[in-house]
Amino acid sequence: MTAPVEAGAKGVGASLPRKEDDRLMRGRGDYVANRRVVGLQEVAFVRSPMAHARVLAVRKPEGAEQQVFVLADLEGVKPIVAVCGLPGFRVSELQVLAGDIVRYVGEPIAMCVAATRAEAEDLAELVEVDLEPLPVVADMLAALTPDSPKVHAHWERNAFLESMVDDDLSAVKRDAAIVVRRTVRTARQCMAPIEGRAVVAEYDRRLDQLVVHSATQMPHINRTGIAECLGIDQASVRVVAPDVGGGFGYKGILLAEEICLGWYARRTGRPVRWLEDRYEHLSGNANCREHHYDITGYADASGRLLGIDCEAVVDAGAYSLYPFSACLESAQVSSILPGPYVMDRYRCHTYAAATNKPPILPYRGVARTGVCFAMELVLDAIAREAGREPWEVRMANVVPSDAMPYTNITNKYFDSGDYPECLRRTVAALDVPAWRARQKRGEPDGRRVGIGLAIFCEQAAHGTSVYHGWGIPMVPGHEQCFARLSPDGALELRIGAHSHGQGMETTLAQVANEVLGIDPARVRLIHGDTALTPYSTGTWGSRSMVMSGGAVAAACTVIAERVKAIAAHLLEAAPADLELADGDVRVSGTDHSMTLQEVAHAWYRQPQRMPPDIDPSGLETTAGYKAVRDTGTFSYACHACAVAVDTELGTVEILDYVIVEDGGTLVNPMIVDGQVYGGLAQGIGSALFEEMPFNADAQPLASTLADYMLPGATEMPTVRMEHMTIPSPITRFGQKGIGEGGAVAPPAAIANAVNDALHDLGVEITECPITPRRLLAALAEAKAGR
Amino acid sequence: MKAPHFEYEKPATLADALRLLSAGGDNAKVLAGGQSLGPLLNLRMARPDLLVDIRTLPELRACEDDADSVTLGAAVTHAAIEDGQVPDPTHGLLARVAQGIAYRAVRNRGTLGGSLAHADPAADWVTTMVLLDAELRVAGADGERVLRVEDLVEGPLSTCLAPDEIIVSVRLPRLSADARWSYYKFNRKPGEFAEAIAAVVHDPARGVVRAVLGAMEGAPHVIPDPHALLGGDIDALAADIVTRSGFAPDTYEHRVHAVTLRRAVAGLA
Amino acid sequence: MTRIALKVNGQAVERDVAPRRNLVDFLRDELNLTGTNVGCEHGVCGACTLEIDGAPARSCIAFAVACDGASVRTIEGFDDDPVMIELRAAFNAEHALQCGYCTPGMLVTARDIVTRLPDADEARIREELSGNLCRCTGYVGIVRAIVSVMAARKSSGGGR
Repeated sequence: MTAPVEAGAKGVGASLPRKEDDRLMRGRGDYVANRRVVGLQEVAFVRSPMAHARVLAVRKPEGAEQQVFVLADLEGVKPIVAVCGLPGFRVSELQVLAGDIVRYVGEPIAMCVAATRAEAEDLAELVEVDLEPLPVVADMLAALTPDSPKVHAHWERNAFLESMVDDDLSAVKRDAAIVVRRTVRTARQCMAPIEGRAVVAEYDRRLDQLVVHSATQMPHINRTGIAECLGIDQASVRVVAPDVGGGFGYKGILLAEEICLGWYARRTGRPVRWLEDRYEHLSGNANCREHHYDITGYADASGRLLGIDCEAVVDAGAYSLYPFSACLESAQVSSILPGPYVMDRYRCHTYAAATNKPPILPYRGVARTGVCFAMELVLDAIAREAGREPWEVRMANVVPSDAMPYTNITNKYFDSGDYPECLRRTVAALDVPAWRARQKRGEPDGRRVGIGLAIFCEQAAHGTSVYHGWGIPMVPGHEQCFARLSPDGALELRIGAHSHGQGMETTLAQVANEVLGIDPARVRLIHGDTALTPYSTGTWGSRSMVMSGGAVAAACTVIAERVKAIAAHLLEAAPADLELADGDVRVSGTDHSMTLQEVAHAWYRQPQRMPPDIDPSGLETTAGYKAVRDTGTFSYACHACAVAVDTELGTVEILDYVIVEDGGTLVNPMIVDGQVYGGLAQGIGSALFEEMPFNADAQPLASTLADYMLPGATEMPTVRMEHMTIPSPITRFGQKGIGEGGAVAPPAAIANAVNDALHDLGVEITECPITPRRLLAALAEAKAGR
Repeated sequence: MKAPHFEYEKPATLADALRLLSAGGDNAKVLAGGQSLGPLLNLRMARPDLLVDIRTLPELRACEDDADSVTLGAAVTHAAIEDGQVPDPTHGLLARVAQGIAYRAVRNRGTLGGSLAHADPAADWVTTMVLLDAELRVAGADGERVLRVEDLVEGPLSTCLAPDEIIVSVRLPRLSADARWSYYKFNRKPGEFAEAIAAVVHDPARGVVRAVLGAMEGAPHVIPDPHALLGGDIDALAADIVTRSGFAPDTYEHRVHAVTLRRAVAGLA
Repeated sequence: MTRIALKVNGQAVERDVAPRRNLVDFLRDELNLTGTNVGCEHGVCGACTLEIDGAPARSCIAFAVACDGASVRTIEGFDDDPVMIELRAAFNAEHALQCGYCTPGMLVTARDIVTRLPDADEARIREELSGNLCRCTGYVGIVRAIVSVMAARKSSGGGR
């Protein structure tokens, strides 16, 4: 366990208020849309109104030939291709503007440029597009049937990838006293950051450089992708990601729009911008998370898990996008489905189905929310069969405390943790006996109360050894930080990852404080600019605190050594006798010291004071980080809740919600809490509200936030959270990635609570979101069946 | 998305507004608070050539209070009603309903008359004003007419108002001191469109019992024999009423409307 | 184009605007007041909330032309506002923002709650916040911050 943090501490472990807040609270945030450029024009896209069609003709309005652009105009521009190296992967090509075929509603067909967005939209309305409808593939299960129409005509089957983790289940089938088989489904969702995508493209004549301001989580990856698609040197592209209004994975992607705008800015020399609006976001751009499971759990009479057999389908949409590819979710499903559990046998067959829907993109807790939902529903079903409390059955199945570190059935290396303790604390915090008693008494208003829980573990900040096997365009490896102690003793840090809510301007300053003793107020983080920062795959996969945190520590360690070398000379002491604290370099055990500022001043402005053998590299450096093992940290958490179900209206109210989380060493507990709370709200959205429905023609049926319902303050319960802080043995400070976990467990915990409330009515929900419509239908069906 | 091109006029008087609307024909549209029209314009689902802004017309902001009724100007905002800045002849029903409309920032701009003219089936004022049997004073090129709100709505987003007519005011009968009302709205979160609304008013002194179902496919449904709701087997009755209102049994809409009606009736007690 | 005259953050402004220009685009693109963000353009998310004539309003569905004669106050106009100073301190202390995109609108609504409903309990605060969506924080810090400002104002006898 980490030591308690001293009052006034500003290093690792301190809940330091955020440095970035002030500008954001005073309306001085610097989002892409705030960029002011003389002569800036705006773009609107003509998008496909059909889910699958042959493009017969696109006619530009007369006189607007220089304002409207189609694929044929974009000479030399290559399509977006994201190949996954897993065997059998089928390759798709997304032209940045439609070629012969459009394959989802919302696919860009033409780019219209005008002085204002309104005028660009006027122009877009005048573009005539002749489409010949083709048969539509709207449902992922139907897509996989032999007689389905094809999304990509030359494919043998509508699947980007089929993968199999095979095993012999004959013994567990024979021995199992309990067999539960369930069909589980999670809805297609939209990530819905409040800021949409945003791109401003300019051409810098002096540097012969395309400058793209983009609301992205991974500026370096986008730069690589833009350069590749435009067929130009990467040095000819600079990507700047300023303040970004929420990412959640949605902004970890190369955009067709970036390439179109980049092409235009280079060709004309004129600056141009596109701001995704909510209509575009919901109806055509932001799809994630649609899973279907046919899952069977085998257990002994006590509920001990013997094996899992699963066939999982992920609706990957029409194209594979860069860099994560269409296998992003499906390739992970089979490897992470077993969750925190021990089992003897495991088989999982997974498909990334292709349909005429927008391409599937990363969203917080990629694949994890779906697998946790499927697995935890099965565990509860087993518990009901075994006649035991769900937490007892989990206790019998999670990796035992003394087995850590543990390599699980899919070869995942759980670096540390105490899963049983996490369960125990959660159950105690929820007070299960009290809820059981209340359940027996019944509610005065006739609602039915239930409790549910879900436990998961989450691989984060995993690196090369995990990703190279997928063979996707981006394989993470190391992370770098550039650090410079400036002449006035302030510290400048530059990282290639991006902070868009995670508070890295604060937490990385805390890391610097931990190593250099410098006041975080004197640390400035520069990120989000490929011209200024080291190359990085960016911010995704809960990796930044581990990877960038490690890199900052590494760079600060180098600076510390150099500071000590200089100070040792000036203080006439041995470097080994020096310590760095509170902005000073001090000879240990004495009051003999000088400030970092004095050291820096001496280095930069009084070189005559330096010893002749001083390392001339100076007080700046780029240093790198790689975890001791790159298999990732495994944070874990147990979520438990109590709900009241109104069986007449089909509504679910969360009465209590408890989270016990282990994120290892917490660099800033306040920020960790914020990440978990925010994830929880999104998880509640997945559980109860958020759904992007499509009709049989694959037309999206929600186009405003009145149709696509995001949780508000009234939908968020009061949460009680506890932390376990078992340090990771493989990271610099013992920290673990925890950015996504909050969003993983809520659908499972809430569905289990609903099922607990309703099981004696014969209702078992296996689909989310649990809407009133769905719940009332299930209740009516159960009633009719009895 | 951005609104399509339109012209904009902000007349100083009601007469000027009517003239502009008449001249504009079918392609002129009234802009009251703009809280429903604004989104429709931005989505390019409404495409008027001319918007006539009536929000500040003095004729539409006047309120009157007499022994039998209260008249509210059509440009009174939801927030003004919520805050009790205008007379309320319903012992709090109006404020209660107002507080549940959309969000405060919308209520500060949105108007009573605008909401009625917009005739969204899921909106609160249409249902409430039908419940209270309110009357509208409507001005047109050929003069004024009085219209029961019950006769206003013809379908979703569709009313019997001519394109060049403007709702001037809403006249609400004053409820007696011992009148009781109940308003039950089922929506999935605050500010969201209603999935179902049911409302009942019982005013024995005036011999009035009215009950209305809202969030229908079109106009609110005035329950033909509301007295029956005050006693008897409410479960069977509610289901039967909802069936007769047009919802097929065993559908989601039927279920939630029946429950909403039962709860509204229970809330009257 | 229509000539309009209005006050923005206390300053008189006169401009020609296209009638379809909504208020937030007018403020952002023509007055360079980029503190007010656009989130949905249909009045649901609340990111664009600012004050028109002293009351919170959605600037994405208000047309600039209809604000002729009005007094508009954007987040930039609250720098020295005493309530906003308290709210900013509380938002910082309670970690009530992450990406910051919803924050200007959230603060305008928070200020309205604090000043209009000084006795609101937590449930009412949450209800009043329902028109401002935040995708990052789960509203935990936001609610706490508002509660703390209201409590502090009450105990100091302020806020009336």
